Amino acid sequence: MLEQELKNIWTSSAQTAQISIETSQLIKELNAKMDGIQKAIRIRDIREISASVIGMLLYMYLLFEIPFPMTRFASALSIVWFAFVILKLRKSKTRHITCKLDLSVRGQLADQEAAMRYQAALLDSVAYWYAIPPFIINCIFVLGLGNPAEYNWTNSLAESILPLSMNLKIGTITGLAFFYALIIWLNKRAASRDIKPILEKINIIQDEWEADNESNG
Amino acid sequence: MLQKLEINFEQVLEENKHKIFRICSIYAVNPLEPQDLFQEVVFQIWKSFDGFKGQSTINTWVYKITINVCLRSKMKLDKTNQKTDRFESIHFTPVDEEIDTFEHENFKYLKACISTLNETDTSLIVLYLDDLSYKDISSITGLSENHIAVKMKRIRKKLLDCIASKMK
Repeated sequence: MLEQELKNIWTSSAQTAQISIETSQLIKELNAKMDGIQKAIRIRDIREISASVIGMLLYMYLLFEIPFPMTRFASALSIVWFAFVILKLRKSKTRHITCKLDLSVRGQLADQEAAMRYQAALLDSVAYWYAIPPFIINCIFVLGLGNPAEYNWTNSLAESILPLSMNLKIGTITGLAFFYALIIWLNKRAASRDIKPILEKINIIQDEWEADNESNG
Repeated sequence: MLQKLEINFEQVLEENKHKIFRICSIYAVNPLEPQDLFQEVVFQIWKSFDGFKGQSTINTWVYKITINVCLRSKMKLDKTNQKTDRFESIHFTPVDEEIDTFEHENFKYLKACISTLNETDTSLIVLYLDDLSYKDISSITGLSENHIAVKMKRIRKKLLDCIASKMK
């Protein structure tokens, strides 16, 4: 068979389906889809930032309300950590959405590889920025709680919520340790189950692109 | 301005819709159908349309987006791999197969042979079958023309051998 015949078979395949497009209606649908995606991104961003903002407000209240110095110090550290999380998540999103589909295929693969490596590193390193720092801060917070009577401090709501006795402190720290261990495990699992297989696939395709390159071999 | 953009978009889509659909029909794998992939390509073209800088021809630019969307779908990079609601403004009408069963059969053989190729070779062969020059293929893929020539020599032989054996 001649190559031209192959090309003819290929181009004639277009006749297996008639495609008709109502452009004005399509543009409305495309814009609606675009708006829907942007709205979903906005809602997700607001939800994530709100969680950190609520955390900051709570610790600001505790910073001014609680008299124990170590606990107040931990509250201040918590506020700083929540601010850091907001910045870190925003930076990671900016990095993640830089997918330019009008790059060359090779360029697009390199772009995707870099984005996936960044995502994998972010999930793999969650212990160092999302789990261990707040765990240590929370330990300082809990261990810093003293006897309210010694500071002439009365706040029935705070007293009923805060772990003031040693048994409650040990229980709270143990619970927190399990909670943060779970966060580390879930993120590491997401990195190895969701991101790394894609990264491997990208690398396989990149190797395929480079194959047969005479200048390589 | 917006109206001009819409007119250009309509023109680009009309000129390229069959090419896009052909490529989508090669890359679509269950549960994704060519129509779903076609819709995603159209969406991505619209999304990037305003940013087209004219550094390459518009057709080359459309091919870049089509191949990139198809490859991303194969790598399951997009959540759009899951079936989504189709645009009501795009209608696909299958042509009666009895019109030319011979051509249809040949296309099925060609498609089966292309499916034996890896992702990279598939991308190159669909561009080659669309009669693009090595220069255009180079611009779309980012490979040098020499590199493409070496690859194409091997891919063409593989494809022709496969088709010949199927047609026996």
